Amino acid sequence: MKIVACIKSVPEEQDISIKPDKSLDLSKAELKIGQYDLNAVEAAVQLQEATGSEEPTLVSVGTAKGLKNTKLQKAMLSRGAGALFGVVDDSLDTIDAFATASNLAAAITKIGGVDLVLCGEGSGDIYSQQVGPLLGQLLRFTNLNAVSRITPRGDKLEVERTLENEIEVLEVTLPAVLSVTSDINKARIPGLKEILAAGKKPVTMWGGGDLELVKSGSIEVISTLAPPQAERKQIVFEGDSEENITQLAETLRKVL
Amino acid sequence: MSKLAKVFVIAEHNDAMKELAYGAAQLGENTALIWAGEPRQAGGTDTVYYLGELSDEHILEHYSPTIINLIKTEQPNLVLVESSRKGRLMAGMIATALGTSVLADATEISIDDGVVSKRMVYGGAAFSTERSTAPTTVATVSAGVFEAADTGKAANLVEVPFTAPAPSIKCLERKIKVGESVNLRAAKRIVAVGRGFTAPEELKLAEQLAAAIGAEVGCTRPIAEEEKWMDKARYIGVSGVMAKPELYIGIGISGQVQHMVGVSSARTIIAINSDKNAMIFQQCDYGIVGDLKTVLPALTAKLGK
Repeated sequence: MKIVACIKSVPEEQDISIKPDKSLDLSKAELKIGQYDLNAVEAAVQLQEATGSEEPTLVSVGTAKGLKNTKLQKAMLSRGAGALFGVVDDSLDTIDAFATASNLAAAITKIGGVDLVLCGEGSGDIYSQQVGPLLGQLLRFTNLNAVSRITPRGDKLEVERTLENEIEVLEVTLPAVLSVTSDINKARIPGLKEILAAGKKPVTMWGGGDLELVKSGSIEVISTLAPPQAERKQIVFEGDSEENITQLAETLRKVL
Repeated sequence: MSKLAKVFVIAEHNDAMKELAYGAAQLGENTALIWAGEPRQAGGTDTVYYLGELSDEHILEHYSPTIINLIKTEQPNLVLVESSRKGRLMAGMIATALGTSVLADATEISIDDGVVSKRMVYGGAAFSTERSTAPTTVATVSAGVFEAADTGKAANLVEVPFTAPAPSIKCLERKIKVGESVNLRAAKRIVAVGRGFTAPEELKLAEQLAAAIGAEVGCTRPIAEEEKWMDKARYIGVSGVMAKPELYIGIGISGQVQHMVGVSSARTIIAINSDKNAMIFQQCDYGIVGDLKTVLPALTAKLGK
């Protein structure tokens, strides 16, 4: 079974600062792997281990800053995948989910022979939870989200889907695109050995000359602004003395 | 605000159906609901396009070619989709078939030179305002954006002929989810626990406080998804519950934006944390720097009286 996991570099939220006009300053934000993508990579590796297939392939769409960064490439490849394919162009920075899915679809088609594509629940930054569903339909593969368990069954998969009020157990014909939940597994933390080995794994970067890039969609972002913050009193008692706890209890009683 | 000519609704749960039907009536002249399941429950729009029953044989996904055909034929200006898991998948499939994207998880939606929506991005650090100018815009709409008010519309039921899907998904079993049914979104008081709790046995300290003040217990993502000490229904934050309590008490919670955004509208925020530098102290009304194992039993004893 040839497995692909989709992965995205996203800014570290802790490093995002807010400008006086409420817009975001991402310039100091380090890039990291989207947290939900780690579950997709882990699910791909576990499935590969269970079926004895070749190591899964990672596919990512983004800018040079996010993809031609050796440290990030190593972080991506140190979690059990065998190769990384990137669709890179600096115009792909703020594209909508449809454009992202279109570029992923082009890369997956070019890689060829892919049986299973795994996506995380949503990207770590925009989190529209749409790239997986759009990609599945673009590739015309079996298309499911909310997947919380994947078990190989011959040339098919048995998939559990965790919905709001019910669980579905489904038999899925390949090829398929499955978007997995963030609790499908606990992603492994790579050790130094894996990080060193990751530096030797093949990395392929495709740009506009290699693929027909989709650079814009039908959705225009008008603004991205920090929400107004409620004023908080910030009255903090330092220390868990009997007196402080009594004071807090009195305060609480007033707001109850 | 000008109205669109034709707005469709796709929902799978009754409460969302009512909210979106009312929303559709605000945004559009002519409204229709696309519905699978019990036909008597459908309504609130000018037309109900009835797909058929839901069963192991026909889960909602099996109706996707039928739904896509219907939308391509009817060409509504806007399709409002419940942002349930199945709704998100359906929205993505419809949008792809129309060659467009989805206005995802809208927390506000209006008509202004296209369809304009607002949604949370960067883990709650910001809200993005987006405009779709597609001939048919597909939007998933968060719970509570529209009220579940009566539209006064008496629906005309139209049965839609079934288009068979590719036989790629076979439903083996559907079961009711085991786990608690807790609705934190409606809770007035919430006591939430985070990584400051080092063992599951310590959770009872928070549960006892919650019981003393009539609060529900919630938690951060790691407690539900990594430690699995609590049901996912209790997890507050961007990818979990967005709550609107009057009182929120965060215990052993550092105060990361992804969690705090889920309670940021609380009238009063109280923090209990042993680390005086924890970010939550800058976002609280009242706080105490102390060991939860000391603070919680004492607080519970004082408030329980």
